[in-house]
Amino acid sequence: MTAIISVRDLRKTFRVLVRRPGLGGSIANLFAPHYRSVQAVEGVSFSLQAGELVGYLGPNGAGKSTTIKVLTGLLVPTGGEVRVDGQVPWEKRERYVKGIGVVFGNRPTLWWDLPVIDSLELLQPMYDIPAERFRYNLVEFKRMLELDEFINTPVRSLSLGQRMRADLCAALLHEPKLLFLDEPTIGLDVVAKEQIRRFVLDINHRRGVTVLLTTHDLTDVERLCERVMILDHGKLLYDGTLAALNGRFESAWTLKVDFEEEYPDVSVAGLPAPQRVGRQALYLFNHRELNTAELVQQLMARFQVVDLEVRRPPLEETIRRIYAEQLLTK
Amino acid sequence: METMRLYLRVMKLSILQQVTYRTALLAGLATNFFFGLLRAAVLLALFQVQPVVNGMTQAEGLTFVAFSQALIAFLFIFGTYDVMNTVYTGSIGADLARPMDLFFYWMARDFGASLVNLVIRGVVLVAVFSVFYPVVMPATIGQWGVGLVSLLLGWGVNYAFRFLVNLTAFWTPDARGIGRAAYTMLMMFSGFLMPMRLYPDWFSRLVALTPFPSTFNTPMEIFMGLLKGPEVIPALITQVGWLVALWLLARVVLRRGLSKLVIQGG
Ligand SMILES: Nc1ncnc2c1ncn2[C@@H]1O[C@H](COP(=O)(O)OP(=O)(O)OP(=O)(O)O)[C@@H](O)[C@H]1O
Ligand SMILES: [Mg+2]
Repeated sequence: MTAIISVRDLRKTFRVLVRRPGLGGSIANLFAPHYRSVQAVEGVSFSLQAGELVGYLGPNGAGKSTTIKVLTGLLVPTGGEVRVDGQVPWEKRERYVKGIGVVFGNRPTLWWDLPVIDSLELLQPMYDIPAERFRYNLVEFKRMLELDEFINTPVRSLSLGQRMRADLCAALLHEPKLLFLDEPTIGLDVVAKEQIRRFVLDINHRRGVTVLLTTHDLTDVERLCERVMILDHGKLLYDGTLAALNGRFESAWTLKVDFEEEYPDVSVAGLPAPQRVGRQALYLFNHRELNTAELVQQLMARFQVVDLEVRRPPLEETIRRIYAEQLLTK
Repeated sequence: METMRLYLRVMKLSILQQVTYRTALLAGLATNFFFGLLRAAVLLALFQVQPVVNGMTQAEGLTFVAFSQALIAFLFIFGTYDVMNTVYTGSIGADLARPMDLFFYWMARDFGASLVNLVIRGVVLVAVFSVFYPVVMPATIGQWGVGLVSLLLGWGVNYAFRFLVNLTAFWTPDARGIGRAAYTMLMMFSGFLMPMRLYPDWFSRLVALTPFPSTFNTPMEIFMGLLKGPEVIPALITQVGWLVALWLLARVVLRRGLSKLVIQGG
């Protein structure tokens, strides 16, 4: 199988004007501008197969948006090779963007003062969409995203969640093979987030659209992505399944046990002493060394157990540790 | 064909959008009208002293005031900063993620807004002005026709100039300052303040070498009958020349700029 997106050794360096303070500084800036370079992306390589839905993660300033801008033809990289669906994104921009859909979570793309429907209908001649396909897609997306309640409202008066749904619709009416989402759920409430996730999953499953998504919301990742890539300081630190990432970096799991009676000693060899409250005990264990079944069997053999519950730390916690303790760079 | 349909659609949306700014339109009309009255009052005071001022009769002077005030909004004489704003806010990214040509997209948008301005701020202003003052309308259909063609050409030259000014935002964070300087030049040298032929000879000769008179002075002189008969031909040819030259330049500069543009934000 050939990759639909392939990125090799991608680099992007920004030149930032260093402004010196004061009047003298302003004059100096004018005649002898001093630049500092910022390496936003430093040698990133990856590829995506058609139909994948991949999360592109990393802390603030990691270089995610920069990568997305390169992949959507908005930015010419400093170095490296990029092929998306056989094309170089920034070379024939107009032709290239016909085949992709883009949503920037923090940036409206529709005509601000006009009803949503006006902006949507502009897309038909823009992408040369056959009238029938256009109608069909519009009806379907209107239903899935529940656009009807505000489709005749000016974009300026929409809530953030409504606008994001309209933007998603506008990114997909022309049936692109590829969808790039830069923080599509930023600032939305749980209901709106869930609606967007369901929509993205659906177009990925049923329409086979390949999706690359950046987000800081790890529920998005758990709900949507089997595969994640983690970027930090412009370098790709991890590229693999979410399950494998959890396997490697998840901190201790917790087993909560309710006993029949208050046993004097419920500790398990090799584990730290459990926290106890009445008949309840909380065991912290490293799932890589001791599997849950063994632990449960041990306890059941020794005590009368009423109830059991295994808790995994939230992905949030795992990712936070990866960022904060720089686990991947070691 | 589909491309044409796209830009016509953009123009239509722009018209709809412009119409939603009702208050701004009326305020603009009032302002243009007020300054028109002021300019007319100054002229009338001068005409009390002598019958011909700057080679224009009283009626010609008032006609000039009426038409120039009426065309301010159509030609965006005070300039536009829309494209550079999209560069500085980064919202140009959303436009570039669409399969459309930035030059024609903004042209369609501007032209839609211009048409609304022409009707609401232009036609209304001239009509009201003619009630109070002896405004001289073009005498023949031919003169109207040639004047309108020239006005459209002028619009095109003016658009390309404004677009180029906006494109400087690709290179400098101070494009607003460049804009202010450039649009002051546009106002001075386009014949907006008074017809070019009334300036000192050396000055109008110099300015004639720039594209500015092609934006406003030429259609204006045709409407006023200052330029007529065979003299119209070279004037129109000059306009076409500047139109082609500035359009090509704008497109080359746009291509260059896009290859180094840094989309802000994210
Ligand atoms: N236009 C620019 N000029 C200069 N530096 C930039 C520019 N855009 C981004 N950078 C720098 O490049 C780095 C990567 O930025 P980028 O926007 O790609 O991060 P990100 O991963 O999207 O972060 P976030 O999660 O905060 O959106 C940052 O250090 C940023 O300061
Ligand atoms: Mg970002």
